[in-house]
Amino acid sequence: MSTHLDHDQQHTTTEPPVLTPQHLGPAAQGASSLTATDVSCWFGSRQVLERCSLSMEPGKVTALIGPSGCGKSTFLRTLNRMHEVVPGAKIAGTVELDGQDIYGEDLGVTEVRMAIGMVFQKPNPFPSMSIRDNVLAGLRLSGKSAGDKDTVVEESLRRAGLWNEVKDRLHDGGMSLSGGQQQRLCIARSLAVHPRVLLMDEPCSALDPISTRVVEETVIELAHQITIVIVTHNMQQAQRVSSQCAFFLVEEQKQPGRIVEAGDTATLFTNPKDQRTLDYVTGRFG
Amino acid sequence: MTLLDDAPLADGAGAAGGAAKGMPEQPKRKVRGLTRPEWAEYAIALVAGISLALLLRTLLDWDDVMGSAIIAGIAFIGVHYLIVRERTSPDVALDKVVTTMMWTVGAVIVAMLLWMLSYVAVRGLKLLNWTFLTTDLSTTGSLEEGGGALHAIIGTAEQVAIATMVVVPVAVLTAVYLHELKGRLAGLIRFVVDSLSGVPSIVAGLLIFTVWPGYAGIKASAALAILTLPIVTRASEEILRTVPDSLREASLALGAPQWKVVLRVVLPTARTGLATATILGVARMAGETAPALYTAFGSASVNLNPLNGSQSSLPLFVWDLIRVPDQRQNDRAWAGALVLVIIVLVLFATARWLSARADKKLGRR
Ligand SMILES: Nc1ncnc2c1ncn2[C@@H]1O[C@H](COP(=O)(O)OP(=O)(O)OP(=O)(O)O)[C@@H](O)[C@H]1O
Ligand SMILES: [Mg+2]
Repeated sequence: MSTHLDHDQQHTTTEPPVLTPQHLGPAAQGASSLTATDVSCWFGSRQVLERCSLSMEPGKVTALIGPSGCGKSTFLRTLNRMHEVVPGAKIAGTVELDGQDIYGEDLGVTEVRMAIGMVFQKPNPFPSMSIRDNVLAGLRLSGKSAGDKDTVVEESLRRAGLWNEVKDRLHDGGMSLSGGQQQRLCIARSLAVHPRVLLMDEPCSALDPISTRVVEETVIELAHQITIVIVTHNMQQAQRVSSQCAFFLVEEQKQPGRIVEAGDTATLFTNPKDQRTLDYVTGRFG
Repeated sequence: MTLLDDAPLADGAGAAGGAAKGMPEQPKRKVRGLTRPEWAEYAIALVAGISLALLLRTLLDWDDVMGSAIIAGIAFIGVHYLIVRERTSPDVALDKVVTTMMWTVGAVIVAMLLWMLSYVAVRGLKLLNWTFLTTDLSTTGSLEEGGGALHAIIGTAEQVAIATMVVVPVAVLTAVYLHELKGRLAGLIRFVVDSLSGVPSIVAGLLIFTVWPGYAGIKASAALAILTLPIVTRASEEILRTVPDSLREASLALGAPQWKVVLRVVLPTARTGLATATILGVARMAGETAPALYTAFGSASVNLNPLNGSQSSLPLFVWDLIRVPDQRQNDRAWAGALVLVIIVLVLFATARWLSARADKKLGRR
C-alpha cells in the first residue's frame, strides 16, 4: 500500500491529497464506534471522573482536551481496560465497542486490548528487542498468529510513516532511534495487531515540532482506516487532527472531572455552548 | 537528539553521523582538565607537603613511612587550601580540598586492591604452572616437588555449578513473585529472605552437616545455596525494579497476559543485570570456605563424583595447606589462592563485558 505522508513520497508516485479533517469524507470502511456511557472512575476512594458519556465515531479522530489533572488520561485508559491495572482502581458505567460492552462477560481483556490499541505519552519501545521485533511484539505477546511477518512489519511501519527511515536497519535495537522515531515505532507496534480503535495519550508531548508534524500526519492518514481518540494539550493540534472534540474539566477543587462539552471540533473551538469551553480554547484559563 | 535527526526528509541512516561531505576532517580538541595556575598550585603544595614531612622526619628522628606519608598528605591539602584561597575564594578552595580528598580515598582503595592482588600474584606465581593445574596431591608427599590443585579446581567447579543451577532459577522466580506478581505472601517471603541473608556461613555448613550427614560435594553445594540464595534474590529484585513500568504497561496494552509480560519483556530487558547478579553470586560462592568444611570436607585426590565421598575445593585447599608449618605446602596454598583470585576476576570481567556489550547492542548509552 502507499501512504500519503510526504516523506514517503520520494519513493512513490501518487499525488498527495491535501489532508485536513474536513477532507476526511465518509467514515472509513470497517472502522468501529466506541461509546462510553456514564463512566465514573475512582483511585481507591477518590473519585476522579463523574458520569462521562462520549460517543467516538467510527473512522474519525476524537480529541480530548482540558486542563491538567482533569482525568483525560484516566478516561482514555478506561476505554481499553488499562485503568484497572492500577491497584485499587474502580470503574462504573459502560464502554461499548460496536455495541458490545468491553467490560461484559463476552469479551476477554486480551481481546479488548488487541481491538483497542494504545500509544503512550512517552515513547516506550522494548529495549530488549530490535525494531522488527518491536513491531511484531504485539502479535507475539497476545498470541495472535502473524501470517507473513515481513509483510506485517513493512505494512505497520509504512502506516506509521517510519518505513523509509528504518527499512535498512530493522535489526538495530529499538532504543537506537530518535525520540520521534521511537514514538512512530510505538504507533507501528500498536497497528501491527490491526486494532479497530487507537487511543493516543499526548503522543507528541515529548517530541520536537518536526516529529510532531509527522505523527500528526500519521494520525490524519490513519483516520481513514480506524477510529482514533487522542488526548492533547495543544489546541492547534486538536484543530488540525480531530473532527470531534470533548472538553474535560474539574469544576471545583477535590471534585471529580466531567465532560463539559463535546461535539464537532470546529463548533467547539469557534462557537462553544459553554463559557468555560470558550475560555479554555481561547487560552483564558487552564 | 537534534531537530535534524528527526527530519522526515533525512535519508534514514545515511544522514546521521559521519563527517559532512566535502569538508576536511576537523581536528578534535583535547578537553583541558586543569589550567596552568592550577597545576602550579598543586606542584607548590606537593613540594611543601613533602618537604614538611621530610623535615619532621629528620628533626624528630622518625622512621615510620606510613606516618610521614599521612603528614605529607595533610600538609599538602592544607597548603593547597591556603594558596587557592589566596588566589580565588574560600568556596573554590574548599571545593579543591574535597576533590583532593575524594581522589585520595579512591587512590588508597585502588592501591590496597593492587597491593593485595600483586602480593597474591607474587607469592602464588612461584608454583603456578601447568603441572599445578593438572595434577592433584594424592601421590605427592608434602616435601616432594610437583603436585597441584586439580582436585580442588574440579571440586570448586562442581560445587559452585550445582549450587548455581539451584540458586538462579529459585532466586529469579522468587524475585518475580516479589516484584512482578506482588503476591500475597510477598511480605513473609521478603522477611524470610532477609533473615536468611544474616545466616553466618559456618552455620549454613553446620546445618547441612546435621540434617544431611556424610561428606559429599553436593552437600557443600547445598550450604553454598543457602548462603547465596538471599543475596541473588535481593539483587534480582533490585534489577527487576530497574525495568521501567512503562514497558509493562505497553505490553499489557498490547493484550499480553501477565506471564508473557514477565517472560517476553521484563526478563529479557533485565537479562544482563540478572547475568551480572548471577556471576557475582558465583564469585561469592567460589570464595567461601566455611560452608565446605563439614560438608565436602576436603581431600587430596580428584573426586569427580559430587554425590559421594569427600571432595576438595580451592578455599579448602588453601585453608588446609596454609595451616601447616611447611614452606612448600604454604607455597601451594598461595598458588591455590592465586587460581581462586584469577577465577573471580575473570568472572567479574565477564559480568562487566556482558553488560557493556548488551548496552551497546541495544543502543543505550
Ligand atoms: N495512579 C493513580 N493513583 C491515584 N490517583 C491518580 C492516579 N493517576 C491519576 N490520578 C489522579 O487522577 C486525576 C486525573 O488524572 P489524569 O492523569 O487522568 O489527568 P490528565 O487529565 O490526564 O492530566 P494531564 O493533562 O496532566 O495528563 C488526577 O487528579 C490525578 O491526581
Ligand atoms: Mg494525562
